[in-house]
Amino acid sequence: MPSAAPPSRTTPSGLPAGSPGISVEGVTRFYGSTLAVDGVSFQVRPGEIVGFLGPNGAGKSTLLKMISTWLPPSAGRIAVGSHDVVEEPLAVRRLLGYLPEHNSLYEVMRVDAFLEFAARIRGLRGAHLRDRLDWAVESCALREVMAKRIHECSKGYRQRIGVAAALVHDPPVIVLDEPTHGLDPVQVVAFRGFIQGLREGKAILFSSHVLSEVVAISERILVIQKGRLLADTRVEELQRRAGEAGKDVEAVVLGIVTAAGNA
Amino acid sequence: MTRKDALGGGEALAAARLIARREIAAYFDSNIAYVYTVGFVVLANSIFMNDFFLTGTADMTAFFDRLPLLLAIFLPAVTMRLWAEEKKHRTIELLLTFPIGPREAVAGKYAAALLLYALFLAGSLPIVVMLFVLGRPDGGLIASGYAGALLLGAQFIASGMFFSALARDQIVAFVTSSLAAFALVLSGNDRVVEVLDGLWPSVAPGTILDESVSAMPHFDAFVRGSIQLPSLVYFGGTSAVFLWMTALVLRQDRT
Repeated sequence: MPSAAPPSRTTPSGLPAGSPGISVEGVTRFYGSTLAVDGVSFQVRPGEIVGFLGPNGAGKSTLLKMISTWLPPSAGRIAVGSHDVVEEPLAVRRLLGYLPEHNSLYEVMRVDAFLEFAARIRGLRGAHLRDRLDWAVESCALREVMAKRIHECSKGYRQRIGVAAALVHDPPVIVLDEPTHGLDPVQVVAFRGFIQGLREGKAILFSSHVLSEVVAISERILVIQKGRLLADTRVEELQRRAGEAGKDVEAVVLGIVTAAGNA
Repeated sequence: MTRKDALGGGEALAAARLIARREIAAYFDSNIAYVYTVGFVVLANSIFMNDFFLTGTADMTAFFDRLPLLLAIFLPAVTMRLWAEEKKHRTIELLLTFPIGPREAVAGKYAAALLLYALFLAGSLPIVVMLFVLGRPDGGLIASGYAGALLLGAQFIASGMFFSALARDQIVAFVTSSLAAFALVLSGNDRVVEVLDGLWPSVAPGTILDESVSAMPHFDAFVRGSIQLPSLVYFGGTSAVFLWMTALVLRQDRT
């Protein structure tokens, strides 16, 4: 195994200056004749943590799959760090740390072997590889399970293994599908601190169907339902509106969703 | 629209090698490698020894003659998991959103299955040693037989990977790739050719299949010690087509 990686595959240090992290423009996606995502547009800039909120089946995962290059949009355009997901999927994947829906992992692999695989396949080698693996193991608190097989790990550990594998190469654009799924409340709080510690220069987009988590972790919220983007609002703004109406943030978001449902 | 999802040479090789290593580890971690190798070696060697005691000649033709049907069962069992398992456990989305193309993933998995098959074949080497101890076999003939066996296996593994990529279930992948392998073998069987020709004598479909599709005329040439360019092209070409179609399926079949 060569000890040095070719320069193009080393860890991306960041995004080109001025480029939006994630740019979604008028994106639509059909599954057969079913409309899963309907004309959605938004951006996630470097330094931003954006929470993607919606009930199961709202189109969250489909959108994240399109950003990850797994699915092509039926219409519209998605760019990650100014690379088009359809035309330059490899360039996009190099910038991206992606946790897919359901956090599917190679069950029979040992945790240490899996993380090393995830790092090497992104081109990490030598001392840099060791440093990044150490970082991933420490920051996701995986030291105890390193010698275990993944199927022997608890749900909370598995979730952190998935997140560690998604972030081991220090990607400038992070897309996590339900990263808090299976975490207990204490772990959710720890995850919040962890993600907020990462934000410097990175564009972070994560999905959840738990409103309180999204409000706690992100500074901007995208609300999606039946494939349509209902709101793209700063959390502060929601809190201000909630304060004015004498309600809590949950009620305000619920109001947005029901208003859209009635429209 | 151009789709830039092919890595450069060095990177592609490194990625394919990583994937191959992971797959080989998976074969051993799940004990598939041990069980299949022991099963294959015991079956293949005991079938040969039976023939050997009957004929008493120091050559391996009997071993290679029995090999295709055995491979038509064992190799689909090796390849069935390669993509069907990734799809079932949804790890395929993780794998193919790493910065690699489907080509590297296909190449890595193909190499892993080929290596496991080479291990199967290596299990028959004691026969070679025994023949050299007991008599004076034709070494060139044996080497040519092994070359044919490797190429036939390479073809079955490539087609098995294709059917595994089409399936979501390993059993379906096993049955379809085994049927395909049997079709490649039996279409070259004299009796099958005769029966098919008899169905439509003016066209002789059996002969057409035997001469165009079947792997057997090419494999038999190797076993008889004749290595011909058309046979190399046949095995190389069909394997490449199956691998290419596998990558095609992986690009299209996404949910």
